[in-house]
Amino acid sequence: MTIRRTVLLSAAVVVALVAAACGGDDDATTTPAPPPATDAPADTAAPAPPPATEAEPPPTTEDTVALSQAGGRLAEVLDRGSVRCGVRDALPGFNFLTPDGEHEGFDSDFCRVIAAAVLGDAGAVDFVDLATSDRFTALQSGEIDVLVRNTTFTASRDGKEAANFVYTTLYDGQGVVVPASTGITDLEGLEDANICVAQGTTTELNLTDVMRSRGISFNPVTFGESSEARVGYTAGQCEAFTSDKSSLAVFKFEIEAGGGDEQFILPETISKEPLGPAVLDGDTEWAQVVQWAVMATIQAWEFGLDSGNIASATGDNPALGRFLGEEGFDPGLGLPSDFAVQVVSQVGNYEEIYRQHLEPLGLPLDGSVNDLWTNGGLLYVPPYR
Amino acid sequence: MPVVSSWWRRTGFLSAIWQAALVAGVCLAGWWLYGNLVENLTRTRIPTDFDFLTQPTGFAIPENFGFDPSLPIWRMVLIGVQNTFLAGLVGVLLASIVGLIVGVARLSSNWLVARMAQVFVEGFRNTPPLVVIVFFSFAVFSFGPLPVFPEALDLKLPGSDSNWLVLSKSRIGIPSLSAERHTGLFWIIVVCGVVAAAGVWVWRSRRHVRTGEPHHRVLWALGSFALVVIVAFLALGGPYAWSLPARSENGRRLISGFGTSAAYLSLTLALALYTASHIAEVVRASILAVPKGQSEAAGALALSPFQRYRHVVLPQGLRIAVPPTINQYLNLVKNTSLGTVVGYADVTNLTRTSIGNANPAPQSIAVLMGVYLVFSLVISLLLNIYNRSVQLRER
Repeated sequence: MTIRRTVLLSAAVVVALVAAACGGDDDATTTPAPPPATDAPADTAAPAPPPATEAEPPPTTEDTVALSQAGGRLAEVLDRGSVRCGVRDALPGFNFLTPDGEHEGFDSDFCRVIAAAVLGDAGAVDFVDLATSDRFTALQSGEIDVLVRNTTFTASRDGKEAANFVYTTLYDGQGVVVPASTGITDLEGLEDANICVAQGTTTELNLTDVMRSRGISFNPVTFGESSEARVGYTAGQCEAFTSDKSSLAVFKFEIEAGGGDEQFILPETISKEPLGPAVLDGDTEWAQVVQWAVMATIQAWEFGLDSGNIASATGDNPALGRFLGEEGFDPGLGLPSDFAVQVVSQVGNYEEIYRQHLEPLGLPLDGSVNDLWTNGGLLYVPPYR
Repeated sequence: MPVVSSWWRRTGFLSAIWQAALVAGVCLAGWWLYGNLVENLTRTRIPTDFDFLTQPTGFAIPENFGFDPSLPIWRMVLIGVQNTFLAGLVGVLLASIVGLIVGVARLSSNWLVARMAQVFVEGFRNTPPLVVIVFFSFAVFSFGPLPVFPEALDLKLPGSDSNWLVLSKSRIGIPSLSAERHTGLFWIIVVCGVVAAAGVWVWRSRRHVRTGEPHHRVLWALGSFALVVIVAFLALGGPYAWSLPARSENGRRLISGFGTSAAYLSLTLALALYTASHIAEVVRASILAVPKGQSEAAGALALSPFQRYRHVVLPQGLRIAVPPTINQYLNLVKNTSLGTVVGYADVTNLTRTSIGNANPAPQSIAVLMGVYLVFSLVISLLLNIYNRSVQLRER
């Protein structure tokens, strides 16, 4: 009888307490209640617009400003004294570890560009090694400040993954590599073939799309990482391997330089792959800082400034003077006025970064889409004024 | 006169208060975490609902030529569940058989047999399962001697042009059964056969109780079941026939037989052997837990070593082995998620791919956890029922 009463009593108390806890929602000061999906973000200073329809109202400027002030990623980075940069340590040419444990490559240099611009010290980077399928989660959770990890700018990543892609650092396209001895020259030759691919990438989706649209059935052999997919291909688990053409060129170069079988990259480019740094949505200030830091490397190239001559450069024309931070020109981005000088003197301009890391691996710069607009390429940055 | 304490000082009341406070605290903490998650997701405009499950999948699934990438994501999850189930089921069966044999072998009086079993157990038990899986995948298949599709190794039947086995680094074809005719009717007869076998079992048991003659009910029941099935199979003109593995014209695809991938085999074999080493130890411990006098008494009754195991030691020992074995089964099923590293399309692997393709991570992981929870609870439930049925009943 006693036990029964105790159970009843405790049940009653639990119900009462839970009810109290749930009832507490009404005043939002105690319990952080989940805002309904239709509402504007909770931190908004301005009153949220009435949710007239099911569709979310577009973010207003007030929202963004309020958020950037609340988030304050730039202040956080300045306070911390280092930039947390999400990379992958197994992407030769883009980011890999040297025998001394240094990060080297195209992507890691852009991490340094951001650190040099914001903190004036290219060495103030904390590299965070991320698996392909974890990269956006790391960005969303705020674990990293910026993602520079060979990541393709797409609409769903911009939208659903809450990534904010800034200036594209490399215009790439997807290709397929096969051993030259197979004699395969087009995608039709890969009917029913095993194709090695990294999972959770646009590469995998593009392959599926293009094969479906042409009615070619194939078997994807998926690996967690592009580097694992390469091993699978080298070991003969697949007849073909697909990735961005820049990676394929590096891969082909490495295999052939190592005395392996001759490789053939199919001439078709099956997708557009604009690769660039991404930050988290909702912090415009930080996004602008990263954007302009990256663009400074391109502007410097256009001005003919490189790590060798920027120290002695003087602003003989006003545009150059502003870029060098003479007379304290400050466009209000939150960057120091000499940030471009720091970036170029400590890391280099775009051309130097590209030629150092990607050209030795069989990716020529001259005449490619990654050349300056004045040379017929796609690199074109807005004026710094 | 006994001291009557106030109602608020009674143990029952106080413990109820504490329990209620704890439950409320846990609820509040959960609510706070949930609120945090939803708020952060909403702030970055990441969807917080489960609508993504009805969106098109967008990617092709390994070894599933029939899967249309425009099918919704919940269909993809089902394929993953099916693949996990396939790896778990075959793994559990293999692990049980190998584990039992090795466990008994470890106690063998034959020096060589006992040492070999010991090496097996120590080797697999002291290696992480992930390493074993990667070893099978790379050492046995990838860098092994097998050819690559389309130059697969076709093993022909003697004196025939059809294969019985197709071997390659990535895909292995084995014979399977293909439905020919009257399969529905055949299965109805099979069910009747089970009912008949149960009837025979009951009849033999009763007869044993009445006359005291040996019942041999397992033999009788299995025999009558086999008789029904064989007669039905022949009478229906062969409802199922062997389908031998054959390859398509370009040599890359299996058009008949059962195709299985190197990833599946690496995962299942590795997990089965790894778990078998643990089950072997469970079996050994359970046998050792049976008092030595039992075995000696059986020997005194002139039972052969096999009979001693079959009728005296194992029935008592395996009863003890059931609860720890349930644990091993649960571990095996959960470890199938390691198949991700070798590209096996289990539910974890597919979920990770889907998260990589801009589907919300918290909801996807919630679905994944739900799947494993259901798997584990069903296994626990079934085996606990079995455990209760074999427990020693005090009379």
